[in-house]
Amino acid sequence: MILAQLAINGVLLGGVLALSALGFNIVFGVMRVVNLAHGDFVVLSAVFAVFAFEQFGINPLLVLPVTIVAGFVAGALVHRLLLRRLPGEIASAEASSLTLTFGLSYFLAGAGLATFGGRFASVPYLTGAYQLGGLQFPQARVLAFVVAVLLSLAFALVLRSTRIGRAIRATSQNLDGALACGVDVDRVRTAGFAIGTAVATAAGTLMSFLYNLNVQQGVLFTVNAFAVVVIGGLGNYTGAVLGALILGLCESFASYFAGATLAEAAPYVLFILVLLVAPNGILGRRTA
Amino acid sequence: MKRALGVATIVATALLAIAAPLRLDGYWLNLAYVTVLSVALAYGWNIISGYAGYFSFGQIAFFGIGAYATALLVADERWPWIIAALAGGLLACALSIPLGYVMLRLRGPFFAMGMFGMAQMVRVLVTSIPATGAGAGLFLPPSFGLVPVYYWTLAIAAGAIGVTAWLDRSAFGLRLQALREDEHVAATLGVDATRAKMTAFALSALIPGLLGGGYALFLTYIEPDAAFSARLDLQSIVMAILGGVGTVWGPLVGALVMTQISEALWATFPQVYLMIFGGMLVALLIALPRGIVPAIAERVRRRAAVGAVEAAP
Repeated sequence: MILAQLAINGVLLGGVLALSALGFNIVFGVMRVVNLAHGDFVVLSAVFAVFAFEQFGINPLLVLPVTIVAGFVAGALVHRLLLRRLPGEIASAEASSLTLTFGLSYFLAGAGLATFGGRFASVPYLTGAYQLGGLQFPQARVLAFVVAVLLSLAFALVLRSTRIGRAIRATSQNLDGALACGVDVDRVRTAGFAIGTAVATAAGTLMSFLYNLNVQQGVLFTVNAFAVVVIGGLGNYTGAVLGALILGLCESFASYFAGATLAEAAPYVLFILVLLVAPNGILGRRTA
Repeated sequence: MKRALGVATIVATALLAIAAPLRLDGYWLNLAYVTVLSVALAYGWNIISGYAGYFSFGQIAFFGIGAYATALLVADERWPWIIAALAGGLLACALSIPLGYVMLRLRGPFFAMGMFGMAQMVRVLVTSIPATGAGAGLFLPPSFGLVPVYYWTLAIAAGAIGVTAWLDRSAFGLRLQALREDEHVAATLGVDATRAKMTAFALSALIPGLLGGGYALFLTYIEPDAAFSARLDLQSIVMAILGGVGTVWGPLVGALVMTQISEALWATFPQVYLMIFGGMLVALLIALPRGIVPAIAERVRRRAAVGAVEAAP
């Protein structure tokens, strides 16, 4: 019974992890940039939702549209004003974009600390649980799971059927091919970064009633997203959802059997193992 | 002429660094120690990340290992501090061999994040051993004084600069730079890639490992946040990038400039320190992507070229 309960907790957690990882994935897809500031966007959004609740009593679900728009704008600005200005011709272009998001991560965490303070908090929202056949379904987790799944479907729809979505997928798959077909890659990258950040902030708002958070924990969510995406294969969206379920289950079981401190190490252990054994992810094709 | 000027600058800086403890005390000696520590850390990072091109976000793991090993050997085993610090560095270097064997299979952002994860795992492991006092930390007997620790750190910094100067002109250094530009091509040309990058990795672990022991003695009390300090890790990367990644003098210039700025910021705005520091890193990458030293070298070269053209009949 306890195993079934742990599995349920893991899957419910996996839904939100998957949403966050989709945002990370799209940024990597269009830009080949590992966005180390990803988790800071997640956490800032969560802390903002807590702030809105405590100061004005606003329901986090009503905050959601605000954080999505704010994330979209912030992502577009970060790409336009910062990443696009990195000189592309130097040998370590990949390293400099990585370092830039590393600096941005500290900037955001520091700005959050100065604005909201370093206190741990969460929104006490839907604290009850549904009972079903002796198993507990915590209401907050179920709600976050459902909203995360709906947002992920909307995300998939945008990528699949809109013009910009097709352009984003084309750019991710083959940059030269996309350029040759007349895709405005620069615009696509701005859009990709904006959508990716909006998804991250959406996930963050949902996490405001799942986790007790403070602004300096962005790293945790960057690592979670990175681990999920590595497990599923970078750039692979189905893989990311599967990876999120695996990580959710691992964290749930590890914290029960090994304690919270060691469970914190679970994503690191998982992604290092996967990188070494199957560098293209569990669904990844082998490349030459 | 230009060469003589360079040598004179280096000798003057070295003499100044050696003489510093004779005239300084209290806060200023602390600042001198932190400066020298930053210089050495930036050089340690520069070998694996600047020369070999493997950007690491986890070299602080070796610093923490050195710090904890030294603290345990001094506090529990009563070893003389200098031998304990040496042992801490050697332990970090020895551990880097199996770690490097595994981690150096990863490339680019995967290596960077893998090392970051590795550092977190080492931190969790070290602090879950009862002997290290877990999260509560360890006290060292406070009888050392800062001057010996300063000279220890200065010696390591000088050694690190020496190793880098050698790297810059040796065949081994060329092999590393070939790896950085294109690992496949380098391997085709007969570079033993695994061996070269593991040697670089071991050097990049030995330097922070040796420094960690000194840091433990400097603090006389260590806990996980100090030994695996994210701030020191970030700083050493920013300093090397500011000065010029993969150059001999870049980390020195970057660390000398940055330590002063960083100390001033830390003293006046501790609340927004990380924000300003992160913002500076971002601004630097856009404004001075190659760093100070290459930018100056470029300007000098251009002026020399213009002079040569004008002097021509």
